[in-house]
Amino acid sequence: MVILEEPIKEAQTLKNYIGGEWVESKGKIVEVVNPATCKVIAQVPISTKEEIDEAVQAAKAAFPEWRRAPPLSRARCLFRLKELMEKNFEELSRIQTMEHGKTIDESRGETRRGIENVEVATGIPSLMMGYNLEDIATGIDEYVIRQPLGVFGIIGPFNFPFMVPLWFIPYALATGNCIVVKPSSEDPISQVKIAEMAEEAGFPPGVWNLVNGGRTVVSGMLDHPGIVGICFVGSTPVAKGVIYRGCGETGKRVIAQAGAKNFLLVMPDADLEKTIAACMTSFYGNAGQRCLSGANLVVVGEGLNEYEYNAFCRKVSGAFVDEASKVRVGYGLDESVQMGPLRDKSKKERVAEFIDKGIEEGAELRLDGRKTKIVGDLPHTCFLNPTVFEGVTPEMTIGKEEIFGPVASIMRARNLDEAIEMIHSNPFGNAASIFTSSGKWAREFQYRVQCGNIGINVGIVAPMAFFPFSGMRDSFFGILHGQGAEAIRFFTESKVVIQRWF
Amino acid sequence: MEEPNLTTSAIIGFSVKLEDDSSQFYEELAKRYVDDIETLRSFSKESLNNRILVTRTYQETITDALEACFSFKGLSLSNYLADMALKDDMTYYSALKLAIELEEKAIKFYLDVADRSKSLLATIPNAFRKVAERRNKRKLKIESLLGRLE
Repeated sequence: MVILEEPIKEAQTLKNYIGGEWVESKGKIVEVVNPATCKVIAQVPISTKEEIDEAVQAAKAAFPEWRRAPPLSRARCLFRLKELMEKNFEELSRIQTMEHGKTIDESRGETRRGIENVEVATGIPSLMMGYNLEDIATGIDEYVIRQPLGVFGIIGPFNFPFMVPLWFIPYALATGNCIVVKPSSEDPISQVKIAEMAEEAGFPPGVWNLVNGGRTVVSGMLDHPGIVGICFVGSTPVAKGVIYRGCGETGKRVIAQAGAKNFLLVMPDADLEKTIAACMTSFYGNAGQRCLSGANLVVVGEGLNEYEYNAFCRKVSGAFVDEASKVRVGYGLDESVQMGPLRDKSKKERVAEFIDKGIEEGAELRLDGRKTKIVGDLPHTCFLNPTVFEGVTPEMTIGKEEIFGPVASIMRARNLDEAIEMIHSNPFGNAASIFTSSGKWAREFQYRVQCGNIGINVGIVAPMAFFPFSGMRDSFFGILHGQGAEAIRFFTESKVVIQRWF
Repeated sequence: MEEPNLTTSAIIGFSVKLEDDSSQFYEELAKRYVDDIETLRSFSKESLNNRILVTRTYQETITDALEACFSFKGLSLSNYLADMALKDDMTYYSALKLAIELEEKAIKFYLDVADRSKSLLATIPNAFRKVAERRNKRKLKIESLLGRLE
C-alpha cells in the first residue's frame, strides 16, 4: 500500500505573525512531535503577554481601515485565500496528518470543511445585509445595519488544527473585524500555513494576526480590553470556568464550544450493516478525539420481548466488536490505515486510565485497545487500538465522562424513553444519533433530545458551513454558534436607525 | 486475496495510477500504430481527464464525517490490474486484445467502487459511474477497431 510523501522535511521554529510581519517570539520554545513517528517536526514558541498585546494593538490599528473596505473587497481577499487553499490542498492535508496523527482521508475531509467556511463567508455582501421598513410612523423609516465590532480572539483546539479556527476566522474578517489567532501549541503548523496564505491573499497588515503559545496567551486575550470577543473550542472545564467566566468579567462576546459524551441509539429496525460502518467512523475516526465522536452505543429493545432483545444485543455487539477488531491502525500517511495515533503520549495514558477504570467498575472488556497492533514499523508511544466495553451503565465513569479516545461503551435500554433518559442524565449535550427505519421513532428522538446536533442514521453529526455548529447544556457556552448566519450575527452589532426628514 | 476495509484514499490512489498507466499505454499504442493515432491519442487524453474528474470530485466532496475509511469492503485491487506491457514484437491485433482486457477490468473496478461508495456523497459514486461509462464506450470503439482487423 502507498505511503504518501511527508511535506515537512525538517523542523523549523515557527514565528508569530503580527502587524503583517513574521516575528520571532521571546517566549520559550517547545517541540511539535509527529505522534505516529515521534519525530520532531517543528518548534513552537510559547509567546508572552507582551506579544499578545502587540498583536492586539496591530489589529486595533488595522481595524478602522479594514471595516471601511467594501464588503466585496473583503470577500475578494477570501476568494484569493480559497484559491491558495485549493492549490495547496494536498500539502495542507498531509501537514495535518503529520502534526495531529489523523488519517489522510480525515485530513482531506478537514481541509475541505475548512475551505467550505471560507466559501460561505465570501457571500458577505448578501449575508451582512440589514433590513428596513418604511413608514413605521408617518414619514418615518426604520432600518437595521450590521457593523463590525473590532478585534476578536480565536483560540483553536488540538483535535482539528486546520478546520476549527475556520469556523470563525472567515466570518470575523468578512464582516470587517480583525483577528488574533492562537493555534493549539500541540499542532500549530496548519494555522501558520493558513496565515502565510492570508498574507499572500492580500489581507492588509494587522487584519490577521497569529500568536503561538499556551495559557499565557489565552489569559492575555481574556484580560485584554482591546479584544471584544472570544471564540474558543476545547474542554468543558476550560470553556465554562475560564473562557465563559473570563469573557463575562471583561464584557466580551463569547462562543465557547466544549466537551461531549455522545450517545448513539440502535433501534431494532436499524440497517445493521450500514449502522456498524457509520459507528466505526463515529467511534474511531480521528482516534475518537472529536467532540462529535460516538461514545456510548445504546442498544434499544423497543417492541422486543426479553428473548428477542437479548438476541438483538448479542447481534449488535458481536458485529461491532468484529468490525472494530479489523480497524487498521498506523501512520495516517499510509493509505491503508483507518485510524491514527492519539495526539500524544499523555493523551494515550489518560485513555488507558479510563479503560482501567471501566474494568474496575465492572464493565466487560470485549476488545482491549491497549494491546497495540499497528501497521508498519513505528514506535507504539501514542497508539491505541479500538476498545469496546459491554455492560456499561450511565453511572460508570466510562459511561458518563468524556474519554476523548477510541473507546466504545455498549449500553442497554429497554425502550426509547429509557434511552432518552440516559442521554439527559448526562450533563453534555453536543450530539446524539438514532439508527432506525422508523420515521416515528426518528421524529420522537429529534423532538425530545436536548442535544445541539442530532443525527438520524448519521454517526458524525457535523453541520455544514452554512449551518451553525450547535451544542447544548455543558457542551456549549454562549448564545450564537460558529459557522454560517449565526457567525455573521456574532461578529456584528445590530444598529437600528429611525429616520425622519423635516 | 481480499483486502478488508480499503480507505477512500487507497481507492482514489488506485484510480489515479490506473488512469496514468492507461494514458501511457494508449500513448505508446498511438506511437506504434499510426493508422489509428487520433483514436488512440484520444483514449490517452480521456484517461487524463478521468484522473482529473475522480480526484477533483474526491477532493471537493470528501468529509471526515462520512465513512471514508470504512466504505470499501470485500475488494481485492489486484483483481483489477491488467498486464499493460507491450512486447516489442506484439501485433496490433494482440495489443488491442490487451486493451480490451484492460478496459474490462477498469470498468469492473469503477462499477464495484461506485456500488460501495453509495454512502459517501452522491458525487463520488456518480464520478466512478461516469468513468465506467466512458471506459465502456472506449471498449466498444476498440472492439470495432479489432473487428476491422479480423
